[in-house]
Amino acid sequence: MVSVKGIGWINGTEYGSVSGDRRVRYQDRMELRTKLFSCPFKGFGKLDDVSVMLCYAVALALKDAGIDYHADRKQPAGLIGTNASGCLQSDINYFRDYLESGRIMARGNLFIYTLPSSPLGEASIHFGLQGPLLYAAEPGGSLLQAFSIAADMIRIDGLPVMLAGSAEVDEAIYCVLSGAAGQEMKGNSICSLDEAIAVAESGRNISGVINDFMALNKERHSA
Amino acid sequence: MENGRIPPRAIRPVITACDMLTPYGPGIDACWSGIHDKVSTIRRLNRFNTASLQSDCAAFIEGLDYHGNESLVMQMIAVLFARMRNPLPGDAKLLVATTKGEIDLLEKMILEGRGDEKEFDASGLPGKVSALAGLKDRGTIISAACASASSAVARAALMISGGSADCVLVVACDSITEFVFAGFSSLMALDKTASRPFDKGRSGLSLGEAAAYALIMSRERAKREGLEIVAEISGWGLSDDANHMTGPSRTSDGMILALERALHSADCSRDDISFISAHGTGTLYNDQMEMRAYRTLFANGPVPVYSIKGALGHTLGAAGLVETIIAARAIRARQVPPTVNLRDVDDDAAGWAFPEKQDACKGHKALVTNAGFSGINTVLVLS
Repeated sequence: MVSVKGIGWINGTEYGSVSGDRRVRYQDRMELRTKLFSCPFKGFGKLDDVSVMLCYAVALALKDAGIDYHADRKQPAGLIGTNASGCLQSDINYFRDYLESGRIMARGNLFIYTLPSSPLGEASIHFGLQGPLLYAAEPGGSLLQAFSIAADMIRIDGLPVMLAGSAEVDEAIYCVLSGAAGQEMKGNSICSLDEAIAVAESGRNISGVINDFMALNKERHSA
Repeated sequence: MENGRIPPRAIRPVITACDMLTPYGPGIDACWSGIHDKVSTIRRLNRFNTASLQSDCAAFIEGLDYHGNESLVMQMIAVLFARMRNPLPGDAKLLVATTKGEIDLLEKMILEGRGDEKEFDASGLPGKVSALAGLKDRGTIISAACASASSAVARAALMISGGSADCVLVVACDSITEFVFAGFSSLMALDKTASRPFDKGRSGLSLGEAAAYALIMSRERAKREGLEIVAEISGWGLSDDANHMTGPSRTSDGMILALERALHSADCSRDDISFISAHGTGTLYNDQMEMRAYRTLFANGPVPVYSIKGALGHTLGAAGLVETIIAARAIRARQVPPTVNLRDVDDDAAGWAFPEKQDACKGHKALVTNAGFSGINTVLVLS
């Protein structure tokens, strides 16, 4: 049985986690790295905006699920990501920069973020996640596909833990899903897969989804 | 999987129809014959100015209208779908595998200074493909760098074997644009002339473009509807190196993990594998990483390995599907295609990769491997 064990999220002014019922205001997004990552993040300054938000949300989600990590200690968890805008901002930044060079030399460090899977790649490297990694998006960027793929990989392919979520340039949410093989993780589940899918199906934006998960978690605790 | 053996799947996904448009022209036969005749389609590119870029060569499709009304990939897909002999099942789910999709439309918008580029619809491609195919499903983009197509095939197979879909259309496409070409040039990843996978003198990849589709459904449904089975997708393994954004692992651990997962998923042994359709880009480190993985997994002796990227370039998000379809043809023909442009086989590929076609001697299954930026690895097992 697949369930959601941890959820981390961040927007332009706050970050938090669902199981820990945490909501914290912040001022400087780049400074958060010293608080949210449990080991130094190499090359963090060169990340594009989507990668920054995604990596923060994944760090918060792993902590919320009680999963320790280190880049040198790899684990079989996978990452499935989605969003509504793909990598549009990075595409524009890269191509405009290339045009400004007189169409002579593009910059490789901008080009690598012109794949929608690249922010997931940055997370896999920092958190040492060796499971499947892919980006899947329906029109509108609903979380539904990401949850479905992650859940199938747990139920059918036997992966113990998968992360699924969405990241944009100014907000992100990531959820830790686990099956029977991942049940040794600390703490209770936030909700079942069916409940998570119902939240995703509501078609709400990331802020709405966060509120729905917070409400589900409170319900579970008060029951 | 890490905690126990997965029982063999009751529902087995099979490919019942497929086609491709490559630089050889439309159709699988054209591509198959071109590869067997050792004809490389990599040649001088005249689509945009390459004077300041690392190479001026690529494998491109003639007759496409760059910066026209339709994107390059939609022009390719229209040609492909017009060749379909049978209508697609209306209930098919749609997966569109690509790395950059309709990026030429964004290029055009920026170059012409027309409209607000931030309003560009980056997720419009699946809807267009769905409308052209006449499907109810609005489609999902699958993007996993250069492993996009094989990841989409694995996802389709997972949907069918898990019972969440009965029939899935996978469409894979990518095109050669200035955006992409300049990017690979900036990474110094291009061979100045034509890529030479597994060759001692290899010095980079050559870009290519293609579109392909595969209709995947359960074996039971294919049998019920009297459809020809092109190949079975018997297993799949996906992994990530968790190591570097653009460089492959120096230990090949991610690819080895994907290979092991795929064999486990197919419930088959190493002896069942007849040949390997490699990612084989022609870059120094990719080919080295792959051969290290194959030598580790098949420690008892060589298994024939080939790459089609010297023939039709690296078609990025389409590569995995074009390679899957060619591998399916190779299983039927009991013939391992030659690696085009391979002349002086590198030491670590000696006895594994060949410039000439080979007879497939043992086993009835093939591996199709892909690897991409972010350390993504995919392996499919075909029967």
